[in-house]
Amino acid sequence: MTHERILSHISRDQFVGREAELRQVINYATQTTEQKLLVSAAPNGGGSEFLRQAYDELFFRRTHAVPFHFSFGKNRGTPAEVGASFFRSFLQQYVAYRRVDPSLCTNPVSLRDVLDLSLSTDYDGVSALLESFEHERASADAASFLRFCLGAPQKLAAVCKRRILPLIDCLALAGEQKDSQLTASVATAFVGRGEAGIVAGLRRQIPGLKHAADADFDVAETIHLDYLNDDDAPTLLNALTRRLQIETDAERRDLVVQQLGGSPFLLAAFAQSARQKGLPLTSYVNCQLLYVDELMGGRMYRHFSNLLGQIAPQAQTRRTLLRILYESRSTETRKASVWTWKKRLGVEGTEFERMIDTLHVHELANSSGVTIELNNEAVVWMDYLTAQYRMEVAGEARALTVANTRVNSLKRAPKMMTRKYRRAAALGLNDLLSRFNCQEVAASLFDYQKFAAAHSGVETEAVHAALDAEADIVRLPQVVSAVDYSAVATSDPTEEGRCVIGYGFEGGDYTDESEIVWIAAEIDSKLEASAELTSEWCERLERIAREAKSHQVKLWLVSPEGFSREAAEVLKKRNAYGSSRRQAELLRARLTSELSKPDSSSSFGGGGGDGGADEYEMVIPMGTDTELIAAHTVEQIARRINFGPEAINQIKLALVEACINATEHSLSPDRKIYQRFRIESDKLVVTVASRGVVPANMLTQNGETNGNGKSRRGWGLKLIRSLMDEVEFVRVDDGTQLRMTKYLHSSGSPPVGSVQQKS
Amino acid sequence: MDATGATSVEARCVGDTAIIYASDYLNKLTGERIERECKRQLEAGRHAVVINFRDTELVNSIGVSILIGVIDVVEQTRARLIFSDVNSQTASLFELLGLTKHVQLAKDESEALLLVEPKPNAAGHHV
Repeated sequence: MTHERILSHISRDQFVGREAELRQVINYATQTTEQKLLVSAAPNGGGSEFLRQAYDELFFRRTHAVPFHFSFGKNRGTPAEVGASFFRSFLQQYVAYRRVDPSLCTNPVSLRDVLDLSLSTDYDGVSALLESFEHERASADAASFLRFCLGAPQKLAAVCKRRILPLIDCLALAGEQKDSQLTASVATAFVGRGEAGIVAGLRRQIPGLKHAADADFDVAETIHLDYLNDDDAPTLLNALTRRLQIETDAERRDLVVQQLGGSPFLLAAFAQSARQKGLPLTSYVNCQLLYVDELMGGRMYRHFSNLLGQIAPQAQTRRTLLRILYESRSTETRKASVWTWKKRLGVEGTEFERMIDTLHVHELANSSGVTIELNNEAVVWMDYLTAQYRMEVAGEARALTVANTRVNSLKRAPKMMTRKYRRAAALGLNDLLSRFNCQEVAASLFDYQKFAAAHSGVETEAVHAALDAEADIVRLPQVVSAVDYSAVATSDPTEEGRCVIGYGFEGGDYTDESEIVWIAAEIDSKLEASAELTSEWCERLERIAREAKSHQVKLWLVSPEGFSREAAEVLKKRNAYGSSRRQAELLRARLTSELSKPDSSSSFGGGGGDGGADEYEMVIPMGTDTELIAAHTVEQIARRINFGPEAINQIKLALVEACINATEHSLSPDRKIYQRFRIESDKLVVTVASRGVVPANMLTQNGETNGNGKSRRGWGLKLIRSLMDEVEFVRVDDGTQLRMTKYLHSSGSPPVGSVQQKS
Repeated sequence: MDATGATSVEARCVGDTAIIYASDYLNKLTGERIERECKRQLEAGRHAVVINFRDTELVNSIGVSILIGVIDVVEQTRARLIFSDVNSQTASLFELLGLTKHVQLAKDESEALLLVEPKPNAAGHHV
């Protein structure tokens, strides 16, 4: 939807990369809920503009809720003045919405005008509210007047019987004391109350707002506004430069985006600066000259200087803060204790807490409560800090600092772009490991020599078909957390995204015994990786494994062209996996398609199946002989695809045993057995699921003896695997699934093997 | 199949031998009925028991476990036990779960009765 701007600063078509989040707001506004919607924004991540865009969108969409936007700005005056400003904005926006006249939102009008412009149906309500406002202003103290004003939307909603949706921008409150009167009043009014509302804050500020409101409530959703990604950020910059008529090209835009970390605020500041200086962004030199100018005296400079001024208003304290921050950059861990900071800063009590809290909330430093660590990930902040330290603390001449910063930023530019390109070209091990999710894949995907021997020079489609038919299977773990090693390395750092530690469980079984760590690394080699390079990497990963302190570790190396025969031996000796880039990409494709397979889902009742004509579902209660009902059903289904009488009996008995197992072994809360029968071209797949607890010895049961050698119980799984061609015992979050497959043309002698377990 | 309708099991005696008829679905309930009837017949002095599976279509693992209990009971009284009229599917199941090591299968009831009939020894006495 395109429309004019009301509160937003940029047009809707230039507001890129937040479409999904805006849709979330629209959906929220159309629901009848009393839960809050929180907008958790990265610093300079465009949280305020997002809320303004959301307001404009809601205004023109005419949902049944009347939107109202208010931002607690930095220069706001006394609490009473803030209250009055809030009250006026609210009434103006309310009347503007009701009259469908956006100009009323921003035009300067008196409260009397607002009353005169009210629709007749609202007139009494608005009039009464205005009277109360004047009365409160004259008689109440500042705190209760503020509370009255902040409660105005709720009061008018009750009188006029309309739903009002406040969109409250608290980002500028991030520097306030947590227990300041304004923060507490705003938090109580909009974070802690029962009515619906959207509250935006910095992502490290939101917990403090909740705390200030003493809020124990359900949040409907939280929208996370991170920095724009490598696709959206250049699009935004392109839109900005076109609007401002600045010449630019894709390569330079990419550099600017990398340098500014995809921050919408910084990108807009940079574009504005280019416009003012009339500088085309068509060379690295121009870009970096402009960048350094911005750092030394432009919007970026003002942003960080204001922030530091807010954190440390005293000039001497600010200088000390600069020194501590800069010097912690050069220490190995960038960390120091809170005690050290306090001693060095020479600031005590609540003032010290406020300073550290503001540094933390704005992500200039990370405070754990015990230690404080400089956040060195933000390039602009680091460059600003370095330049300011040199001038303000080290006393370096400004011209020299400017020269050094220009030279350094220019030297950094190609490296930065190389990192971006390598990141873009990386396999994405983090994502790949996260997709494992206990899926089964052909083992040759992790064995380069075997794969190359079978599939070298073969078309991808044919390779997929061969992998489908491969009998040797690897069951992947469920990786619950994949961590980029570069982010946690204390020594021997690796390149971003090239080495990942995946923490997880085998078989989705959340026990100590099943815990496993996969350490995967993408290595560089133009040819098949040599034994020497492979050994070197294995040793490196083994060092990381020792740091991970897991009793079960699997190493996996990915080399673009695979591994030489000797390298494969190295991997084999270490029980490590080795794949080529092609194998890893095939793996990714197969994992993706696996996820969309209907039977891979654990859910019944429409969640997992494709609902096609060849699939049946039924639910039976656990109880006496209900398994016979299931057996009759499967008999009818098996007949339809021409199974012989003997096979039908085998399927029936297997199903009966599965039902008995479900009944006997699960402490099922709903006492139900969920069954799915899926007919495929050459087989019938029967899935039996139940909720509840699975005993640890379930998989190993093989008949309990009564002391004279005659087994008495626990034959269920043994029987099932003898009767069916394939049996998989699958643990799911809240229970179990048994998947049994019978082929139409099975060999006749049922395979005897262990029951497979997966999740 | 009706495993729940009847509350007792069909049985008859031929001389010293009790013939017990298993129902169409042998599960916990119907298995226990057979077990109870078997104990009753043994207490009445029968020296042999034939369990006839002519109507039995399906035997589940709990049913099998109860049959193992029946085998134990019969062994303790030194009586004989024969299973007759077992369909091929059920026979495979008994084989798989080791029942056939402890009990003889007869094609039908007549063969079962022949198997339990006391054989004369060299002196012409029945043993």
